[in-house]
Amino acid sequence: MSRRNPAGQLRIDPALFAVLLFAPALAFAHVDQGEIGGGFLSGMAHPVLGLDHVVAMVAVGLWGAQLGSPAIWVLPVTFPLVMAFGGLLGLLGVPIPAVEIGIALSAIVLGAMVALAARPPLWVAGLLVGLFAIFHGHAHGAELPEAANAIAYSVGFVIATGLLHAVGILIGVANRWRRGAQGLRVGGGAIAASGVYFLVAHLA
Amino acid sequence: MTGFGRAASCAAAVLTCLATGDAHAHAASQALGDFYGGLLHPLTDVVHLLPFIALGLLAGQRGSQVNSLLLIFPGALMAGAALALLIPPLPGLELLNIASALLFGALVAAAAPLPAAALYALATFFGLTHGLANRTAIDAFVRPLLFIPGLGLAGLLVLAWGGQIVEYLIARRTPWMQIAVRVAGSWIAAIALLVLGFSARTLLAG
Repeated sequence: MSRRNPAGQLRIDPALFAVLLFAPALAFAHVDQGEIGGGFLSGMAHPVLGLDHVVAMVAVGLWGAQLGSPAIWVLPVTFPLVMAFGGLLGLLGVPIPAVEIGIALSAIVLGAMVALAARPPLWVAGLLVGLFAIFHGHAHGAELPEAANAIAYSVGFVIATGLLHAVGILIGVANRWRRGAQGLRVGGGAIAASGVYFLVAHLA
Repeated sequence: MTGFGRAASCAAAVLTCLATGDAHAHAASQALGDFYGGLLHPLTDVVHLLPFIALGLLAGQRGSQVNSLLLIFPGALMAGAALALLIPPLPGLELLNIASALLFGALVAAAAPLPAAALYALATFFGLTHGLANRTAIDAFVRPLLFIPGLGLAGLLVLAWGGQIVEYLIARRTPWMQIAVRVAGSWIAAIALLVLGFSARTLLAG
């Protein structure tokens, strides 16, 4: 850590400086080298680069935060599992009709739930989220590159998805304040609107 | 130190004694390499590491009620690896080992109050399959008497560390910690499910 010495000058900890010196070299030594690193990075990137996936994942986290306990943890625990199940179906080539429409609908419905601050029974929320999770997972599974290292890809993919939920839940902390709760509902409306855009873009 | 931790250090001491006895029987510097080979092999392969971690989380959720896991699982690992030297290679071990990550991860996510006996039975079975899968790593140049204790120590360390960390976190009585452990289990199960899907696709394609 950097801190100020008595004279008031900013002083850099020598140990930290030494670590930082090594950091770029370490980074370059690994990125893009071998299929494990490549598989992990493409697994991490896949959920993050598709905006239609991102808004739906964040909506799950936001909605969980609005619903509070126990939904706030039931949703992030079940979602990766159900999504991986959808991914399994996609990898096996099991056809699911209108996957892209389902994904666009997921943003619309989940965004609307956040915008309305809807409070259905837990099992209804779980079922709704689970249903959409299958669509998302299937799309990822079916689009998977043949060459990627399977395990590294899966690790990156699940971590990225989980972190997107965490982002939603962290934003959802704002729900405690009145203005924050209003802001969340506006955000949900924006997610639903983006879902409408994805739907129109797909159908057009 | 908690009950789980004490059992862990006893088991580690036993394994270390086993290994050093063998090391002295050979030229010290070269022979030790195979011990480290056995120790590193499961730690560098996610297919082995994930189920080990998940079992450690599971053990930590139960705390000192499942102390014997610390002897049973490394024991089964070593027995499996020894057995692999005697019998021809079995097909489908890799899939079984990924499935163990799915099962253990799902049990962690569900925080299922599994009876200790059932947990021991699962740990024995999958310890054997993971041990058997190490057959490919023990080639003609590897001394099994060093490799296998190393393997057992790797299983023990992951189990003991994972269990200790989880037991410590849960003992803080913060609800978030229990949830974080369950989310970790769910992630492990999800990863295993995807890897199974990849394997199935490869099988279907080829």
